[in-house]
Amino acid sequence: MSKIHIKVIQPTQIRIDKEYDHVIVPGIDGDFGISLDHTPFITKIRTGVLQLFQNETCDEYAIHDGFVTVENNVIKIVCDTIERKDEIDIARAKASKERAEERLKSSKENINFRRVEASLKKALVRLELKSD
Amino acid sequence: MANLREIKTRIESVKSTKQITNAMKMVAASKLRKAQDNIINARPYADHINDMLRTLKNKNISSDHPLLAEISGKGKTAYVVVTSDRGLCGSFNTHIIKEAIVNLKKNPDADLICIGKKGYDYFRKHSTNVTEHYINLFNEMNFGVSADVAEKILSLFLDENYDQINIIYNEFKSAIQQDIVVKQLLPIIPVESEESSKLDFIYEPDEDTIIYELGRKYIHVDIWRIMLESSAAEQGARMTAMDSATENAIELISKLTLNYNRARQAAITTEIIEISSGAEAIQQ
Repeated sequence: MSKIHIKVIQPTQIRIDKEYDHVIVPGIDGDFGISLDHTPFITKIRTGVLQLFQNETCDEYAIHDGFVTVENNVIKIVCDTIERKDEIDIARAKASKERAEERLKSSKENINFRRVEASLKKALVRLELKSD
Repeated sequence: MANLREIKTRIESVKSTKQITNAMKMVAASKLRKAQDNIINARPYADHINDMLRTLKNKNISSDHPLLAEISGKGKTAYVVVTSDRGLCGSFNTHIIKEAIVNLKKNPDADLICIGKKGYDYFRKHSTNVTEHYINLFNEMNFGVSADVAEKILSLFLDENYDQINIIYNEFKSAIQQDIVVKQLLPIIPVESEESSKLDFIYEPDEDTIIYELGRKYIHVDIWRIMLESSAAEQGARMTAMDSATENAIELISKLTLNYNRARQAAITTEIIEISSGAEAIQQ
């Protein structure tokens, strides 16, 4: 049986370059699954969990800010940060969650809400994935 | 002829300078290797973003999104000038600054955005056009830092009514060659490539959002690439400069050593003459 080729590309390296049966991607308008012979498709990824299925096992990654292109059973994902479940540093994620919440509470004029929101989301996704 | 001790101190000082320049050459060589690796690693990401954008633009030629729009010739122009933070790298910065001045002459109202301390130091004193500057980035360079710079440039472009933003930087050709590049950064011109797909993609949420987000990423990665190129070129320039400095030091040392030996011999000769003429005087 043929499989889907998945490439995850970061600015500093090609992170994943492997074949899988089936993947679930956190799209900007909701999670969606991609199986064999999916129609050509481009969308933005939201901060969330990327699931890659191979036989009966599932690799889970926390992913942040990127795009996914589906073309001829090749899925290319470009993203800034991606971490496998076991690479997540819980203490760091917690600290960054607290820092972001503090920033939002302090309600100073000069904070960059988009950025704080992004880092809060990132931390929450990491914690959620780790606690499963 | 200079006296012996003077020449000796001179030799010592040239020797220690030689050691420093030699060490700097080694450091530059290792940093160069790192920068080159980074450039190679960044390539797939940059290529893919470019292919996606190219596909979009091919499909949607009439797009009037500001990031991809044609130049109207009405708004302001800005130049981003990428220099190094530190000196001792030959003509690396001088060439860039000269090129920037030529461009400023053509376009006297253009604003300047300086990346790197050397360029900023120069234009702070010689021009009133500097609007933004980023210094000391190259030491701790990572994608996050360059993304911050890119984000600032983007918001300048979108909010401040710039028509065109150009960038002037050194491109790395080889360890001994850097090419000065002046190119248009914004609006984006995606590079034509064979990879860009003819397939009819479905875009979600919609094409305009994707263009905007992809455009942002494109600028992020472009700034990242340019900063890597510039830092590789800087290290290359420094390596060559320090190499020739070391060569010069070696040459100088051998000249001074020759002078030293001559002076020493002359001193010995004088001494022998003194002794022998003294001895002769006693005999008589």
